[in-house]
Amino acid sequence: MSTSNREILFELKNVAVGYGKKIIVQGVTFSVTPDDFIGLVGPNGAGKTTLLRTILGSLPAISGTITQQNVRFGYVPQRDTVQPLLPYTVREVVLMGRFPLIGTLNRPSRADKETVERALELVGIVNLRDANFTSLSGGQRQRVLIARALSLEPDVLVLDEPTNGMDTPSHYALVDLISRLHNENNTAIVLVSHLLTDVANVVKKIGLVDRNGFYFGPKEEVLTNDMLTRLYNSPMSVSCIEGEYVILPGKRGI
Amino acid sequence: MDVIKQIIELFPYAVAGSILAGMICSFLGVFVVSQRAVFLGGVLTQASLAGVAFSFFHVLDLEGWITKITGVPATHESYFHHFEPVFFSLLFAITAVVIFSQSYRNKKITQDIVLGLIFIISVALRIIFTVKSPVGEAAEIESIMKGDLLFINFHGFITLLIVTIMVLGIFLLFRKQLQFVTFDIETAQAHGLKARFWLFLFYLAVGIGISITTRLVGDVFTFAFLVIPASIGLLGGRRVNRVFLIAILFAGVVPPVSLYFAFITDLPSGPTSAAVAFSLFLFFVLIRKLYHIIRKQKSAITVEIS
Repeated sequence: MSTSNREILFELKNVAVGYGKKIIVQGVTFSVTPDDFIGLVGPNGAGKTTLLRTILGSLPAISGTITQQNVRFGYVPQRDTVQPLLPYTVREVVLMGRFPLIGTLNRPSRADKETVERALELVGIVNLRDANFTSLSGGQRQRVLIARALSLEPDVLVLDEPTNGMDTPSHYALVDLISRLHNENNTAIVLVSHLLTDVANVVKKIGLVDRNGFYFGPKEEVLTNDMLTRLYNSPMSVSCIEGEYVILPGKRGI
Repeated sequence: MDVIKQIIELFPYAVAGSILAGMICSFLGVFVVSQRAVFLGGVLTQASLAGVAFSFFHVLDLEGWITKITGVPATHESYFHHFEPVFFSLLFAITAVVIFSQSYRNKKITQDIVLGLIFIISVALRIIFTVKSPVGEAAEIESIMKGDLLFINFHGFITLLIVTIMVLGIFLLFRKQLQFVTFDIETAQAHGLKARFWLFLFYLAVGIGISITTRLVGDVFTFAFLVIPASIGLLGGRRVNRVFLIAILFAGVVPPVSLYFAFITDLPSGPTSAAVAFSLFLFFVLIRKLYHIIRKQKSAITVEIS
């Protein structure tokens, strides 16, 4: 990793995001440091992916300032957006993640291949290295995409709805993996999800993405009944049982 | 055997050129089909044909301009039959590629709509230019535009050879970048690749390959060999390299064989090649289905015995 622990990796100040002149989310202000684990949550269509694209630099901010110094983003897209017809092997897919670091005309070196192996080990799919990406289950594919992002040796790992459409065991296994990557591998993580409970139980800080504004802070401050009720426009209740958050619609607090 | 000998002796460039044309189309086709951009291939063949038709419309004195700039008097024949149609075919195809590659930004006019619009205007312009051409009958021009493998001459062969080397060169030199952007452009961009540039280069190579083959062997052959060998490769190959190998081998063998059939049956070579390729595709799908049925039955019997 290329930065020290106290440094700010990137910072957004009063940023408005959207397409063309149409603002989708505004007033976005937060910064990310190497030991951060941030969750960006909000209802479907609130603008989470738009905000993510702006952070990654594929969409310009409409207003405000984004400061970052050569931050390397390892990106894990939504699994459904990667549906290849060509039968790439897992190793080939993961190696792609390193291509931006390899010179334009150079071939992958031994070191690149070793980094790929390490990434496969980290996500626990070394045994699948020669399997066809298309033949894998949803959970396995998601791990391959995470390994691809890790092969870039990123400063920040950005995951867009990583558990979407997964069965329960795969879902929790993946949440555990992401949590482990942050704790053991010291990787800053930005996790985008519409599953509030998932995010609440693993991240340190939360950004609530809403068309009326953006609310950011430590999860203990952001996850309140009032805040979530305002965000989802219907009653929400937040409970904490043995350190685990349980967030339910209506006034069904446990 | 005599017929084969006769074809090779009479049309050596047609035989070699048909192999090259098939190989270019199949190589590009694997990328086009796996990108789910088959319609792009069809649109580019039509844009190229509109360009060829425009060369018969004769509103621009390209020949005169080039003579003026270079000071070298051009032989009318060579410009008229070789340079102008190829030049305008390339120009129209590249224009289509530029418009298409810029359209990703627009949320309301999607890339599908853009392709549809280019297709419509290409076909319309092709008809208008052909009908209003001052140099020949519309039917005659249409038949020239259809292209024929047998008409590939030395110039055509060299052009195809240059395009083959160029296309392969681009894909070999920039294999990593093109592989990543055609696999997952969003992540390629997020990881720091100039993804839009590489995707444009990819489309440009596809545009050039399609436009030259369309000019020389016609739209039917070009489109057929973009789609069919790639589909067979994808059905039969379990690794990316094998997909390419199967597609290229198929597309290298079928055109000369089709040329033979076209010659002995007095049929147009382009459509004959497409028909032969399609029949082989059906045969391949059938064999594959039978293989799977037999395998299923065998494993069912094994389970019963055990």
